[in-house]
Amino acid sequence: MKKRGFALLLLSSLATSAIASDPPRHIDLGAMPATVVDDVIVPVPSEVFGVLDKLGTPNWHEVLRPTQSNAIGERAQVALLLGTVIAEGFIAVEAQESEEVKKIGRNVLNLASAVGVRKSVAARSKAIIDAADRKDWQRVRLELDGALTDVKTAMIELHDEQLAQLVSLGGWLRGTEALTTVVNRSYSKDGAELLRQPALLEYFQRRLKEMEPRLRKNQLVAKVSESLVAMKPVIEETGDVSAKDVEKIHDISADVVHAVNTR
Amino acid sequence: MKTFSRILTAILIFGLFVHRASATLDDALSFALEAADPYVKEGFTVREDYWGGDLGVKQKKAIMQQLFKGNEYWFWMGTDVSNAVVSVHVYDSDGNLAEVESWHKAHFAAARVTPKHSGSYYLIVEIEKSDEERTHWALAYGFR
Repeated sequence: MKKRGFALLLLSSLATSAIASDPPRHIDLGAMPATVVDDVIVPVPSEVFGVLDKLGTPNWHEVLRPTQSNAIGERAQVALLLGTVIAEGFIAVEAQESEEVKKIGRNVLNLASAVGVRKSVAARSKAIIDAADRKDWQRVRLELDGALTDVKTAMIELHDEQLAQLVSLGGWLRGTEALTTVVNRSYSKDGAELLRQPALLEYFQRRLKEMEPRLRKNQLVAKVSESLVAMKPVIEETGDVSAKDVEKIHDISADVVHAVNTR
Repeated sequence: MKTFSRILTAILIFGLFVHRASATLDDALSFALEAADPYVKEGFTVREDYWGGDLGVKQKKAIMQQLFKGNEYWFWMGTDVSNAVVSVHVYDSDGNLAEVESWHKAHFAAARVTPKHSGSYYLIVEIEKSDEERTHWALAYGFR
């Protein structure tokens, strides 16, 4: 403990040696050129689940559900499905269900194969299974996070950026469904506030709009797009998010996640 | 034969340039992760992803990020240019400074946030000083 404290103290004291100006207390975000603000960081499910754990002890076993082991539908559906399966992995970790986590590790590999990125996630899949065997939940979380990154990086390398976006979207939709399930069962303002994600929603909508027409016209992608439009008024809410709003988001996300998991 | 040799030379130079560019970004990331190291021991989970690029002196870049009330975040910025002064600061969606602390030193900068509300935040990264025309930077973050 003393060593850690010393390391932090050392970094802080070294900090004083650099010359950097104090940041302004306020900046005009509207005056910033659009080209300067073009990146959005999509959070990993652990960031949401971690807060929920601090707010109470959700029964994650009730939220966890079986995942698809094989690819269904076109590549767009497989990409969305892959995202939901990875998100399910985070739920299985919260539930500390090692057998389910191992199954998810194998399913991630199967689905990654179906979209041509098996090689990049093979090592992750093994690491997920090994860590689940040891019940090393922290490691499983890191490997799931890494699997998501690896899948997306591999898809981008294969010039499949749009499919990579669908993986993120699938994960976000299942994460949102799980979040609303937990908050619905035991409503709290702080829990419901986790749904306030306007930048993310806008980012996903922008990415969907930029997709090639063939993909945009895909029935499932169109349904995802419609679900985001329906969620927008609640997600952009600046006041408290009510129990009724949580239920509304739950119904929308559950419906689209069901569609992603259906042949 | 001469044409072939010229093309080969051009490919080699381009290859070296690309290698150099990615190496400097990797180096910047190494510094960002080095800054993160003491905090990992304090229980922060470092996300296995990073954001980066290159900027000129006094140039800024804003990255939007969803933060959740109830989490604590550290953002670590690194650069491979030893005499560069870099900075990272966090603002809420109204443009108010949201960080609770920040620090700078050679190769590194960092900022800590405990969000008052869940919502959109802006990470503003800047190269304040550097001898290089373009300075590579990388940003990583952790939460607990």
